[in-house]
Amino acid sequence: MSIAVEIHNATKSFADNRVLRGIDLTVRKGTVTVILGPSGSGKSTLLRAINHLEKLDEGYVVVGEELIGVRVQNGRLKELREKEILRQRSRIGFVFQNFNLFPHLTILENVTEAPIALGTPAAEARELGRTLLARVGLTDKEGAYPRQLSGGQQQRVAIARALAFDPELILFDEPTSALDPELVGEVLGVIKSLAGSGRTLIVVTHEIGFAREVGDWVVFLDDGVIVEQGTPDEVIDHPKHQRTQDFLSKVL
Amino acid sequence: MTSTLHTPVAEAVEPRPVAVAPLASLATSRVVPLRRPGQWIATLVVLVLLVNFGQTLFSNPHWEWAKVPEWIFHKSILKGIGLTLQATAIAAVVSFIGGVVVALGRLSRNRFLKTISWGYVWLFRSVPLILILIFLFNLPNLYPSIGIGIPFGPQLAIPTISVDPLALGVIGLSLSEIAYSSEVVRSGILSVDQGQHEAAKALGIPRVRQFMRIVLPQALRSIVPSYVNQVIGLLKASSLLIYVSLLDLFGQVQRLSSTYPTDIIPLLVVATLWYLALTSAISIVQYYVERYYARGARR
Amino acid sequence: MSSPQRLTRIGGAVITAALIAGLAACAADPSAEPASSDTNSTVTIGAFSNGVATETSVEVPVVEDIRSTLPKEVLDSGKLVIGIGDLPSGFPPLAYVGDDDETETGSESDLGRLVAAVFGLQPEFKPSTWDNLFVGIDTGATNVGLSNITDTEKRKEKYDFASYRGDNLGFEVLKSNDWEFDGDYENLDGLTVAVGAGTNQEKLLLAWQEKLQAEGKSLEISYFADSNSTYLALNSGQIDAYFTPNPGIAYHVSQTADSADPTRNAGTFSGAGETLDGLIAATVKKDSGLAEPFAAAINYLIENGQYDTWLATWGLENEAVEKSLVNPPGLPLDNQ
Repeated sequence: MSIAVEIHNATKSFADNRVLRGIDLTVRKGTVTVILGPSGSGKSTLLRAINHLEKLDEGYVVVGEELIGVRVQNGRLKELREKEILRQRSRIGFVFQNFNLFPHLTILENVTEAPIALGTPAAEARELGRTLLARVGLTDKEGAYPRQLSGGQQQRVAIARALAFDPELILFDEPTSALDPELVGEVLGVIKSLAGSGRTLIVVTHEIGFAREVGDWVVFLDDGVIVEQGTPDEVIDHPKHQRTQDFLSKVL
Repeated sequence: MTSTLHTPVAEAVEPRPVAVAPLASLATSRVVPLRRPGQWIATLVVLVLLVNFGQTLFSNPHWEWAKVPEWIFHKSILKGIGLTLQATAIAAVVSFIGGVVVALGRLSRNRFLKTISWGYVWLFRSVPLILILIFLFNLPNLYPSIGIGIPFGPQLAIPTISVDPLALGVIGLSLSEIAYSSEVVRSGILSVDQGQHEAAKALGIPRVRQFMRIVLPQALRSIVPSYVNQVIGLLKASSLLIYVSLLDLFGQVQRLSSTYPTDIIPLLVVATLWYLALTSAISIVQYYVERYYARGARR
Repeated sequence: MSSPQRLTRIGGAVITAALIAGLAACAADPSAEPASSDTNSTVTIGAFSNGVATETSVEVPVVEDIRSTLPKEVLDSGKLVIGIGDLPSGFPPLAYVGDDDETETGSESDLGRLVAAVFGLQPEFKPSTWDNLFVGIDTGATNVGLSNITDTEKRKEKYDFASYRGDNLGFEVLKSNDWEFDGDYENLDGLTVAVGAGTNQEKLLLAWQEKLQAEGKSLEISYFADSNSTYLALNSGQIDAYFTPNPGIAYHVSQTADSADPTRNAGTFSGAGETLDGLIAATVKKDSGLAEPFAAAINYLIENGQYDTWLATWGLENEAVEKSLVNPPGLPLDNQ
């Protein structure tokens, strides 16, 4: 199997707080990787570093064949121009914990905004938008505004929005944490439906059941380092490390 | 000890023979709200004062209402209103755009732009508009010509004495107004959730479009009410344009008052009525603009 | 700096061309007088005065001998730009907006029309605030200030003067008030008097206030944004008197005679203090070479009778001068 994402020596500090302490991680194409870890472990920062929403102090990320956010010049890594970074990001889907839908745009406009901004003709973008909304089961809501929808529906719109450029890689940052418990299922259902389609998904979550059911690979992060990684059976059901066991005993 | 512990339980279980019967009959009646006699007295006092004042407006001959219709649509007054509206409208547009530019400067990560923008706001918020206008009128004394050019290279210059008074006036109003509007815009931009910037970035939307399409429209929701306040202030501040020899509504009223000293009060009444009308018109526009930018805000 | 001159020169050429076209039209008229080296023009004065002046036509020739002494830039421009400090509120009958509600009106602008005719130039009026009047002269936006400006030694540091009228001040009080000034500042004890900020009369009043305070007496001085608010304060009893140029008092007294709050003049005083007769003068930039032609033109108008007609039109006969002087002695420095 070929490789979708490679992370080398990802290192990041906020002021004196070392959030990532040299993480190496390889994600295979077409798999679902679940990142687990207590809050403050650096899992969101790691995810955001993959599409350069977070700049690394040291280390680099390769998606497909491409270095993300930087290039090699005179033997050093230099940050790319903003325009280049934006182009790279448009190829990577990102779904936020708080949905971050644009509240002043309709559901359809939310989905078509990025394609139109990057040159897709409006009519074509609308056509695409309707297809994507149908895919997440929101055909009849295209004229509504985000605040008129439930949290679960909003997150499904956000997923449709992330699919606009048909990305090979989609990143989910705690996609169900802001939802009422009874709405979690519908969102996880949509994510699950994406898993089988050959895309690579990386999901930061606290949903252990989902990790066990859908995850191909589970990474347990604590204090800025990968403590343990492996199949769900290895990490969730038979954790080797004390820290993993402590964490699982709290969330299960 | 045991008896004191027992007593409440016994009471709760046994029906209260006296209290319960009338209480039960009240279960379906409406609860009478607390009376607030203080509010009633205050309302009454204010009403009496209002009626008294309203009465003086018509019974006091010093208001000279009979002369108001003579002046209200007088051509000089209308000319003054024309200038007021023209200066206010141009300055409002210029200061909004300028305010966005300065606000972006202040929010920029570039330290130089940040400092320059902060310095601009500091300077023009500190100096009264009247001083700015007097300095502008004095410009030909200070700089006979202004222009830009490459240092020691070719220069493009215009003589300051040839600058149109309306241009001077609008420049003066805008210089001062930009300082205030930039703060209004800045607070509006800050009120937009950080997640909106991130979502726009994550989608790869180009920078300018991120601002124009995602951030600014949301910021406008909180910008519009404060900015309309600014525009109303601007409408009234245009009376200071006499310092660049322009007569707005109030300027015309003052000028007419000196020729017709017995009509000073009716002329002031005319100015008041017009300012009320203009401000009301702006408030109506505000209502619709706010409604437009509030779309999506309601559930 | 070269470009503004070029601009005005082009403007001047256009205006000159227009003037020549106008003269040619006159010459073609068979009823016109035989052409002479001096071209007569008819100047209308006292127009739109709201009842204080009688509209009068005055014949004024272009006087070549005086015209030829004007600075070249002014001649080339074809116009005499006259600054008048009557914004926002005027001071009738000296300078104010006429009762057509647009024409610059009053004795001061009319003198400008007469002098411009002597020069053979088009008068152009630039109203401004009192402060900006002087800014306009400084920047060259205006050629001359004709705005009831008093000749003072202090102002001579920056300006040249050509005197044209006496400067009398007065105290305006409500008719119901029987106070009299009697030429004695001691009578101001205990009063509240309004005066225009930055004016010559303010300096006189401040000097009196100082003297009174030295004697243990008091004089309160009030300032208002303009004459309108001053008169409102007089009507409402906030001030006892308004110390202001005499002609303005005459206008206001006549305007308010039938109103609810009639006023009267409670005594006059020379604008140059106790020892000098105050003079009102045309004010030009120092060393601009305009003061001499102005004095010559005014003297021409005095000798040929138009000056007296002008004063009579505005009821200002009391303030006639015998001769226009360049930089005559003014309100002394120690009185400032």
